[in-house]
Amino acid sequence: MKLSDLLLMSLESLFKRKVRTILTIMGVVIGTTSIVVMISLGIGMKEALLSEYESYGGLRSIEVESSGIYDDNGKEKNPEDTLLNDARIEEFMQIDHVTSVDPVLSVQVIIKCGIYECNTELLGVSRDVLEEKADALGQGSIPAEGEGLQLIWGNYMPAYFMNSRTNQYEYWDTGKAPDIDFMNDQMFVIFDTEKYYQSQYGSQDGTPVSAPKKYIIPTAGVIAGGLEDYNEDSFYVYCDIDALKAVLEREFRGRVIPGQPTRKNGKAYKELFYTRVNVNVDEMDNVTQVQQIISDMGYRAYSNAEWIESDMQIMNIIQAVLGGIGGISLFVAAIGITNTMMMSIYERTKEIGIMKVIGCRIRDIQFLFLIEAGYIGFIGGGIGILLSYALSFLMNKVLGLGAMMFDEGAKLSVIPPWLALVAVTFAALIAMLAGFLPSIRAMKLSPLAAIRAE
Amino acid sequence: MEKPVIQVKNLYKIYRIGENKVRALNGVDFTIQKGEFCCIVGTSGSGKSTLLNMMAGLEPPTKGEIIIGGEHIERKNESKLVLFRQAHVGFIFQSYNLMPNMTAVENVAMPLTFQGVPKDIRERKAIKMLKTVGLGKFLDHKPGQMSGGQQQRVGIARALVVEPEIVFADEPTGNLDSNTTLEVLNLMRKIVHEKKQTMIMVTHDNYLASFGDKVIHIRDGKIIKIDEHPGGRTENTEYENTDIYPGGTLAVPGEEIRPDENS
Ligand SMILES: Nc1ncnc2c1ncn2[C@@H]1O[C@H](COP(=O)(O)OP(=O)(O)OP(=O)(O)O)[C@@H](O)[C@H]1O
Ligand SMILES: [Mg+2]
Repeated sequence: MKLSDLLLMSLESLFKRKVRTILTIMGVVIGTTSIVVMISLGIGMKEALLSEYESYGGLRSIEVESSGIYDDNGKEKNPEDTLLNDARIEEFMQIDHVTSVDPVLSVQVIIKCGIYECNTELLGVSRDVLEEKADALGQGSIPAEGEGLQLIWGNYMPAYFMNSRTNQYEYWDTGKAPDIDFMNDQMFVIFDTEKYYQSQYGSQDGTPVSAPKKYIIPTAGVIAGGLEDYNEDSFYVYCDIDALKAVLEREFRGRVIPGQPTRKNGKAYKELFYTRVNVNVDEMDNVTQVQQIISDMGYRAYSNAEWIESDMQIMNIIQAVLGGIGGISLFVAAIGITNTMMMSIYERTKEIGIMKVIGCRIRDIQFLFLIEAGYIGFIGGGIGILLSYALSFLMNKVLGLGAMMFDEGAKLSVIPPWLALVAVTFAALIAMLAGFLPSIRAMKLSPLAAIRAE
Repeated sequence: MEKPVIQVKNLYKIYRIGENKVRALNGVDFTIQKGEFCCIVGTSGSGKSTLLNMMAGLEPPTKGEIIIGGEHIERKNESKLVLFRQAHVGFIFQSYNLMPNMTAVENVAMPLTFQGVPKDIRERKAIKMLKTVGLGKFLDHKPGQMSGGQQQRVGIARALVVEPEIVFADEPTGNLDSNTTLEVLNLMRKIVHEKKQTMIMVTHDNYLASFGDKVIHIRDGKIIKIDEHPGGRTENTEYENTDIYPGGTLAVPGEEIRPDENS
């Protein structure tokens, strides 16, 4: 028999028994929907988790720090081998899967604005990283290259300013942050914090210390958002790394820059080393591998990968359990299909016998029943997918469960196209599996006995 | 003489029901030539249907050989048998056995569908065949909308549409009245003769059997007599003139003994 005839004949025999067909299909619809919705919850949870990690600062980046210039026995290592400089960056770039390496120079500074002051970390980052923040800015712009030291403020920063008269962080006490206009107020930056505190509170040996130099540093931009809008830049103050280097070298000429490593004799190195570098990897799955290589090279390397991996494992288990619960209803539906097909064979015993006598191949008889079962699975699966999308929409948008349980904009239930495709195929396959036993039965019917049956 | 198209040698069929053995066929030998119209006649329970079904490969024999066109039917498995029937055999049933929710055309086209013939060709052939059996006006009728005689014509059309070399018919007129019986019988004979097809018909009616080129009389699973009169009884006028349908009342004394009473 031709395939088109097989397909048509199976479809016709489904149509002949409308009510029963509809009921059987309904079973598959419910089965498919429950599997898909359950798995979509798992996927939604995973995605919410991943985006949370993303906001913690990248899923594909590794933070690398020097492990110090002394080895386990207290012997000084060759600083060239352990400290982070441009030669190191070149080395890291050579590792497979590494797409870029961004140096970070971090210094502790005090920034004063009127009566307020803030003790914070100032992060010197490369131009590439700085320019990536352009879209996140709410005010101002990224300073052009060579414009000297300018600051980019995180949107949470006002909360970290202390009233120097009362020594109180107003935001934490009153919930109202100091009214600082980064763009227009004059911001004084003090790099030599030790000297500043000594001048304020007196030095250890009691000799008065003069106040260190204050630099008026203009603000180039402020990250968008208020004090409730968390993002990965909220807590930081950024600037161009080269501009920062220049200022530091001028300020601490001949002295040790705070935070920089020193020689054994307490003297400064000629070179300015990076506080850390961020190694960016092409894919999440390669992070662990690259991280291992860097650790083996003798550096401290951190990434979210380990957390994510173990979290994802738990998520996968949850997802499998959810899918399994959904699977039970598809299993019940499959039994329904077997039952329906069996009934239909009993009813059609005579018909099958006649077909065999007038020359229908045994194989074709089996195909007819398998295809019929396949139709039930396919149609049921298809409707099930549509229903799943509707339910998913209802949960996410109408009820807003995702936003309720996770963040704004997060979805509780996510049905990617592959899931829809797999679900329909799976439903059709399961249905055909359910139709297999009946199809064998139809195949084995003796034509003569079948014709005699009433 | 030409090689026979059907050879049956020493054929036995024994049904076992509990302790009892029913010898439905008890050693049968005969041959049928190509183009012959052969009738198998005997009383109820004599084993006619059993013989026919075995020749059509619907039932395996207990012992013996059935050779059709040089092929041993008894050695074929189910799927080979279906292929054999698909290629060489047409089957006409007593109770028509049409598909109730298909039209006449669809019913007749069905064996062609099984052969994989494209839709337009099989419909054309089915319509032509239905016209040949005189049902040109009933193409789209379903079996429930036709008389018994019309339904059997559909059955005949379905058996002959694939132009089989051999046509088996088990009491094809058993459910029809006397006039219709003759119409249907003559129709079958005419088509089969034209196409030089071999036909084997089972009947319990000696009178109808006498239309055959060869008449095999069977009783209790054994052949008691084979009549050969090539050409058979020709168009019968005597029959149409009789008031009483001879077939209905014909009963040879002694043939009423049931085989199971004997065993
Ligand atoms: N499947 C079977 N199981 C057991 N016995 C059977 C079976 N089929 C037929 N028989 C027996 O075999 C014998 C011959 O049966 P068969 O059907 O061939 O008779 P028949 O000549 O066609 O009769 P009828 O004219 O009534 O159709 C009968 O005694 C019957 O009871
Ligand atoms: Mg019979």
